[in-house]
Formats: sequence, structure tokens, C-alpha cells
Amino acid sequence: MTGATREVQLAQFERMLRMRRFEEMVIRLAQKHEYIGRQHLHIGHEATGSAVALAMQPSDKIHTTHRNHGYVIATGADPGRAFAEILGRRDGLNGGKGGSWHLCDASTGMQSTSAMVGGSIALATGAAYGLKLQGAKSISFAHFGDGTLDEGVCYEALNLASVFELPVLFVCENNSKAGQRPSSMLAAAKLRDIPQALQIENMIVDGADADAARVMFAQAAERVRTTGKPVFVECTLERWPGSHQVTAAFPTGVTDLALAFEQERISGKHAEWIKSYDPILRATRVFVESGTATRDELAALDARVTKLMEDASAFAEASPFPEPAAAFTGVFA
Amino acid sequence: MPQMNLAEALIDGLIWSLRKDPKATIIGRGMAGHGPEHHAEDRLKAEFAARIVDPPTSEAAVAQLGVGAAMTGMRPFVHYGTAVFAYEAWNQFINEAANVHYMSNGQIKAPVTFHLFHGIRGGGGPQHSGSPYAMYANNPGLEIVMPSGPRDAKGLIRAAMASDNPTIVVQHALLLGLTEDVPEEDYMIPLGKAEVKRQGKDVSVIACSRSVVDALEAAKELAKEGIDVEVVDIRSIAPLDVDTIVASVRKTGRMVAADETYEICGVASELIATVSIHAWSALKAAPVRVARPMTPVPFSPPLEKAITPGVSKIADACRKACGR
Repeated sequence: MTGATREVQLAQFERMLRMRRFEEMVIRLAQKHEYIGRQHLHIGHEATGSAVALAMQPSDKIHTTHRNHGYVIATGADPGRAFAEILGRRDGLNGGKGGSWHLCDASTGMQSTSAMVGGSIALATGAAYGLKLQGAKSISFAHFGDGTLDEGVCYEALNLASVFELPVLFVCENNSKAGQRPSSMLAAAKLRDIPQALQIENMIVDGADADAARVMFAQAAERVRTTGKPVFVECTLERWPGSHQVTAAFPTGVTDLALAFEQERISGKHAEWIKSYDPILRATRVFVESGTATRDELAALDARVTKLMEDASAFAEASPFPEPAAAFTGVFA
Repeated sequence: MPQMNLAEALIDGLIWSLRKDPKATIIGRGMAGHGPEHHAEDRLKAEFAARIVDPPTSEAAVAQLGVGAAMTGMRPFVHYGTAVFAYEAWNQFINEAANVHYMSNGQIKAPVTFHLFHGIRGGGGPQHSGSPYAMYANNPGLEIVMPSGPRDAKGLIRAAMASDNPTIVVQHALLLGLTEDVPEEDYMIPLGKAEVKRQGKDVSVIACSRSVVDALEAAKELAKEGIDVEVVDIRSIAPLDVDTIVASVRKTGRMVAADETYEICGVASELIATVSIHAWSALKAAPVRVARPMTPVPFSPPLEKAITPGVSKIADACRKACGR
């Protein structure tokens, strides 16, 4: 393994930790504060989100769904301002006008979060069109779940991207799971038959495998950049047990990196998810077993990230609510 | 000053928009309609073929093609043809484009222009006669413009394309052949400025789009009866030029609101509410509303005529407001 690879692996792992610790703090804030809207957490999808963020160049654009916190953090938004937005505070990324459902940060290319299923895929297609018209080398990323493929606008957008040859990378997080109500109901034998039918190059990756996802998205983004055409990546993911939580809770506990090695301590209803699925613990094991990093190094990194999130959260909680008059500003540019 | 029909004028406005702004771009086909005026589009295609794209029939995604591109800094003009086609893009207009600036706290703008042909048009029937601008006006964040003639169409399209906001330009399908003198040079008409199209002292007809043309015709007829009609063209429902409307009613003391959107929650009702709030004391008689009654638009000509606001209904409304 080259030093450069180790560096990028650790950079990815730090993003994954930031995503996880951020969302764990969201749960704490939701437990602590009376009003916080509703949180749609991205826990368990960190390997995919961090891989996408690493594949982005500074002038690229991304549109996400409301399961967005991971992407907001992975693409580099200030966590304090993101927490402040989720709490509806004045210093929030959106000045308190968007909340969790609409986090965005123009400075990181995080164009918008659409809380409408099917919203992000067509907007990202439009972004790719805009970038292409401007002769930019940049590309756009569309983040969506398999549920988006239930929506008509998704087929229009995929078709448009294909016939107009638009530089958009479709990131489909497929966490539809047998045994629960599936998040999509598709007649297609396999999900990728859909982009395939529309002549869109498509790939599949284990979305919980940090290395595989990183390599896949680097290749896919490069492919979009060089061909100028869309690419569709299906990321197979397992749903986190707290995915649809209405009451803020930690169904799989607070992440403890030591559990990657002390599996006998794992118990409870969702033990299997923690033991064999959690992409953070999985990456931790891979790093230590391959000699990429020591347990102590990873623990130190985790402590830094945890502290960062504690400070960010304190910043957000100290931020005042906006003045009521702000409700009436910014309707028009 | 050359004469242009409305189709030629709107194309002229588009040509100037593309000449003046390299970020301006066009998505759609049949910008000048499919009637006898459709050749007006040829000039646009001749000068700017490379900046026009003809999309598949995917109204929702095409709206987002424009909105998403606008969010990266482009200024797309998205043409829908018959206005009702844009119902397929309801979420994209209302929930995405209209909210972008507000919910990003001003970080992101969506300077897209949507262009629609609306109105009861003769044989359009229930599904092709829609005038959706009152429904759009029920949502904040959209600028909504309804030109009543060629000169306004050109200047308002220029302003719409220059605006940093999502703007919907709604043209009446039956006005495309309307002809008047239109300045050849580039000009803009600011959004949100009403215009008094005819001065009068007895009654104010506050109208937009085709109802302005009808009101001017009714005014000629009523002049013979000694009723002096003032006609105010609001030109846009958002922003709404309350000052000009209120000043006119304060002057005449009587009001007719004439518009082709539906009676319930329609533009005419909004105009009456606005005047009632701001100029109640100036009213000498109850306001009269001429609007589309709450029925689908029937196909058969006499049935269609029965529900269409028009010259004679506006004239009757003016007589009623004046106690005749």
C-alpha cells in the first residue's frame, strides 16, 4: 500500500467519523430540545457519502435528498452552522429558514436538499446541463434513494441526461430491505435495468465498503468527466435500524470503535448490524488488521472528531433564534 | 417605429435577451405558438440555433433542467406551449423553483423564466384552456407576468430574463396576432409596474392579459353611452402594483375587476380584496367581478362563449358599477 493511499483512506475515515459523530449529536440535540423538526439520519451510509465527497472537485455541484446530513458534513460545511440550522437558529447555514430538510452550502457545491422524493435527481440533471453550457469541466452529483425510482420525474431526468449527454453522476443508495416495507416497489428485475434501458453506463458497489466505494466513485466521476455522459452507481446498503425514527434514539448505541475488536461486548436486538454491518467498525477493523493505522491512532482521531462536534453543537445551542422579521425577508432575490 | 404582432415582439425580446446575456439559453420549441404567427420563431432560430435545445416531452424534468441550470448561474427560458402542460411540473415550479432563494437564505438563486400560452382560445375544451397564473400567484417566490400586447410582451420578457428570480410569463393564446408599434431597440419594462392603458373618470377596469384588450374595446362602446372608463393593466400579479390600482379607484370611485382566471381565489377576487382594504372609503359602489365561472371550459362554441369573460360582460359590469 502506498503512502498516498493510506493518506486518502484516513481522510475518508475522518469524514466517515465526522458524519457519524455529527448525526449522533443530532440525536442528542433532538432528545434535548423541544422542537427540532424530524431527523432523517444517514447513519450506516457513511462509506458511500464519504466516497462521493472525495470524488468531488471544488467546482462540482451536488443535490441531495433529505437524508442529507452526511453529505453536508462530508462535503465540508461547517458542522456548527449545520447544527444551528437543524435547531432553527440564526447562525444556521440557511439562517433557520430551511432546517434539516433543506440544508445547503453554496460554498461547498452543496446546491440544495430537496425533501420531495425525486427532487434531487432532476435538479442535478439541470445542474449538469448548466455546467455543460458554461463549458465547465465540472460535473454534478445526484444523491437519491431507491425510492426515487418510484417517481415519474426520475425516468424523465435519466432519459434527459442520456439523450442530452449530461455530465451527471447518479448516486443511488439502495437500502430497500426484504422483511420491512421496501423503500421502492420496482417491476424491474434488478434496479440497474432501469439506467441500462436508458443507455446509461451503470455500476454496482457495496456501499458499506469504504475502500470499494471510494475506488468506484473515483472511477465513475472520472468517467463522467472524460466522456461528458452520465453514469449511474447503485450502492447496496443495509438500512440502519433507526432509519425511520420519529422519537430520537440510539437503537444501535453510541458508536464505540473498540467494539470492532471486542465483539463479545455487542448485544441486543440489533447486534448483527453492529457486528457485521456498521461501515465505521468495518473500516476500523480493516485499518488495524492491514496495518494502515493502529487502534490508538484511530481512537485519537475519533476523540478529535468527537470534540469538534461537541464544540460545534455548543456553538449552535448558543446561537439565538432569528428575529421574527426575518420570516419576511429573502422571498425574492 | 415598426409594427409587430405579439409573437414577433416576444421573439424580439428573446433575441435581445440572448444578445445581451451570454448566460441566457432556451429550452423548448414553438416559442411563437403553432398558429399563423409561428414563423416569428425563424429569426430566433437563425441567429441562435446553438443556444436553443428541443427537449423530450418531459415537463417535470424539463422544468428542473431549467431550475438546476439556473442554480449554476445560467438564465434558461423554458417554453411550455399550452399552459396546462406545466401542470405536470407543478412541484418543480412551486416547491423547488419558488423556494430556492428563501430556503437557502439567499445563497442560491434560480433565475429561470417559464413561458406559457394560457386562456380560453376557441375549441381548447376542458384540458387546453387553462389560465394557471392565479394558482401560481398563490405561492410566494414566483414573479408572474401577463402581457396584454406586443410592446409589453417584448419589454416584460427582457425584464423576466434579467430577473434573478424564477419568473413565469403567461401569454394569452389569442393575442399572438395582436399588432401594434413596438420599438426596435432593446428595452425593459420593470416587473411590478401597472400601466393605465386608458384614462377615464367614471369607472376603473382593473385587468390583465386579454381582458385588457376586451376592456379597451368595451370602453369605446361605453364612451358612446357617456361612461368614461379607465383601464388599468396590472401587467403582473406578482409583484402587484397596489399603488397604481388604488390611485385609479380613488380617482373614479368605481371598480370592475376583469380577468380570465377563476372567480374563486382568482386574480379578479384578489384585486377586489386589495382595493377593499386600501381604498374602501373611495368606493361609491360595490366592486364588480368579471371572471371565469367555476365550470370546466366546454368545447362547443356557444357554451364556451357563455363562460368567457369578454367585451360585453365587461361593458355590463361597468354599467352595473355606474348604476346604469
